[in-house]
Amino acid sequence: MYRVVLASRKTVEWIGLLIVAFLFVFPFLWMASTAFKTMPEVRQFPPTLLPETWEWSNFAQAWESGPFLMYTWNSILVAVGILILQFLTAVPAAYAFARYKFPGRNLLFGLVLIVLMIPGQVIFLPIYVQLSGWGLVNTLWSLILPYAASAFGIFLLRQAFMQVPDEVIEAARLDNASEWKIMWTIMVPMAKPVLVTFGLFSFIYHWNDYFWPLIMTNSDEVRTLPIGISSLHMSDGGTLWNVMMAGNMILILPILVIFFVAQRHIIKAFIYQSK
Amino acid sequence: MFSMKKTGTILCALTIGLSGVLAGCGSSGKEQSASTGSTSQPAASTASSGPVEIDFWYALGGVRGKTIEDMVKKFNEIHKDIIVKPAYQGAYQENHSKVLASVAAGNNPDVTMVEIASIAAFADAKVLEDLTPYSQGDEKKYIPGLMKNSYWNDKLYAVPFNRSTPLLYINRDMLKEAGLDSNGPKTWDELVSFSQKLSKKEGDKITRYGFSTPVDIWFYEALVFQGGGNILSENGKELTINNEAGKAPLELWSKMVKEGIMKNPPGENYNAWDVAEQDFLNQKVGMIFTSTGSLTELKKNAKFDMGAAFLPANKTSGTPTGGANLVMLAKSTDAEKKAAWEFMKWMTDTEQTVPWSIASGYMPVTTEAIDSAEMKAFYEKEPNFKVAVDQLQYGYPRPMAPGYKELQDVIQKELQRAMLGQATVDEAMQAATEKGSKLLKK
Repeated sequence: MYRVVLASRKTVEWIGLLIVAFLFVFPFLWMASTAFKTMPEVRQFPPTLLPETWEWSNFAQAWESGPFLMYTWNSILVAVGILILQFLTAVPAAYAFARYKFPGRNLLFGLVLIVLMIPGQVIFLPIYVQLSGWGLVNTLWSLILPYAASAFGIFLLRQAFMQVPDEVIEAARLDNASEWKIMWTIMVPMAKPVLVTFGLFSFIYHWNDYFWPLIMTNSDEVRTLPIGISSLHMSDGGTLWNVMMAGNMILILPILVIFFVAQRHIIKAFIYQSK
Repeated sequence: MFSMKKTGTILCALTIGLSGVLAGCGSSGKEQSASTGSTSQPAASTASSGPVEIDFWYALGGVRGKTIEDMVKKFNEIHKDIIVKPAYQGAYQENHSKVLASVAAGNNPDVTMVEIASIAAFADAKVLEDLTPYSQGDEKKYIPGLMKNSYWNDKLYAVPFNRSTPLLYINRDMLKEAGLDSNGPKTWDELVSFSQKLSKKEGDKITRYGFSTPVDIWFYEALVFQGGGNILSENGKELTINNEAGKAPLELWSKMVKEGIMKNPPGENYNAWDVAEQDFLNQKVGMIFTSTGSLTELKKNAKFDMGAAFLPANKTSGTPTGGANLVMLAKSTDAEKKAAWEFMKWMTDTEQTVPWSIASGYMPVTTEAIDSAEMKAFYEKEPNFKVAVDQLQYGYPRPMAPGYKELQDVIQKELQRAMLGQATVDEAMQAATEKGSKLLKK
């Protein structure tokens, strides 16, 4: 009897999960399907689920509409550059907030939390003016430097570092390990799932970011993929949605690959936190 | 994920502010106000030797963006003393923000596209250069119907470039089948009677609507003009839609929706436009309002005889225009300004505007262009494009007020509330007027 209840509960759970998964995945499948359709088929009603004719040329058309290889390279440089800088700043900051008592700690951490609450659009103008003054506008630096430190990363890592048992650190200190060493060789490996998750969030966000690169750059040499994709969109009507979606497919492909590779760690991170 | 952007940018601001090593973000308030206040930085003069470089920002993607790049290339080949550097800056709104930021930072472009209802905001902020001394009467070459958003305080600030206008798109086959005049309805009354005849019901379900239009400020403006009204008072300081002419469009539309002969397409902003166009192509609706910008694409995909007609008249005919104008920025140096005018003039000359119009679907901007052999041949083949230009005789300016960019969102929200039955027409207009007056007083 118990087994039947358990089995049926499992079934219900699975159906629920499948529905939720479908809700999340469907827009992506729809994008993929649209990317292969011809324009009349995109407009067709009732819509077709799968393309009747597979229009591979949409991808070529999207790719050739601008220097997409350059955009891709820039996107990689920016997203990876930001990631490295954010790790270098977030790890020591989070370690200090989690493990040291110093005057003004709560105030400073409060400031970090405030940072989480102000949207970037509110303050893009002063930062633009500042970067312009340094002659950095329209360089890759203007895309990387403003994001060199991440409040979200500091917050997330601090929580992870706080969960490391005191005994581990005590033991390391008894062995004469320097604080620097404790931080990088003990704390960081123990927070690996959180680090991976944060890295992924950061990478995806900056890989997809449109507003900031658009504001900061003027020439193709320093522009990123999302701007290339957006330039497929025409104002005042007449956008070729199939080509647009093909461009978006190109955009999200690397993210999908990374996600599949890092999947294990992400799940771990969330289980770890829910305990 | 959303918080990530906030995080980085603000942390930068904070670390900069806190560390005290790098002065900067603290003084931003002052510089920010410069974008909306007057900016009177002395123009640094460039040496007269060598070609003058000017920056041109545009806001059109896809094939249209490509065409612009090609035009600039051609200009640069012909003009050895000027180098124009074009840059795509996103859609109108994004370009708008970016121009404001760049003016504040002092690295603004010399020429840019500006959506026509935003000209007043830029001109009022003294960001734009008065073109009168440059054009010296040259502006007479443009079609008068396209010049109505070019002036602010009697000074010329903009020249028309990529311009559109709303049209009534009709499914001629459907109209013929219903025994209606295949040239479409001429008046509001006819719009209603045509729609009644075109709509179809199966049981309780409506399978075909006669008419559909996005509840958008642009079409609302048109219908207000047609009722003899205007959105703003003469001096641009008051909202004048809480009256008969202002309420008539909403009353017409909501009556038609209630009767089941008009579909209110769902979707935020331009999504509703896409829905209307999609329904039209799939023959779920017989007539729609949409922009001239969609002529080429709809024509290509329509499996029926598609026509375009003037917007139906109420007390009078009337239509706004849309799209963007070219403007020159006040902060550029004299040499740059001279080159900038040369460029603006060339881009909008008959020789350029004709192929531009044919390639992009926008209207040509000079009167001479309409009479040119090339344009005439094109109109012969595509008479729908001619309809757009002909309609310009009934053209009204889009409302000119510095705060109109924000105001139009306020009005549009109230329009939608009324259409969805969340407010009566009277309540919606009352609310729009109250909220709008506050914006206009700023």
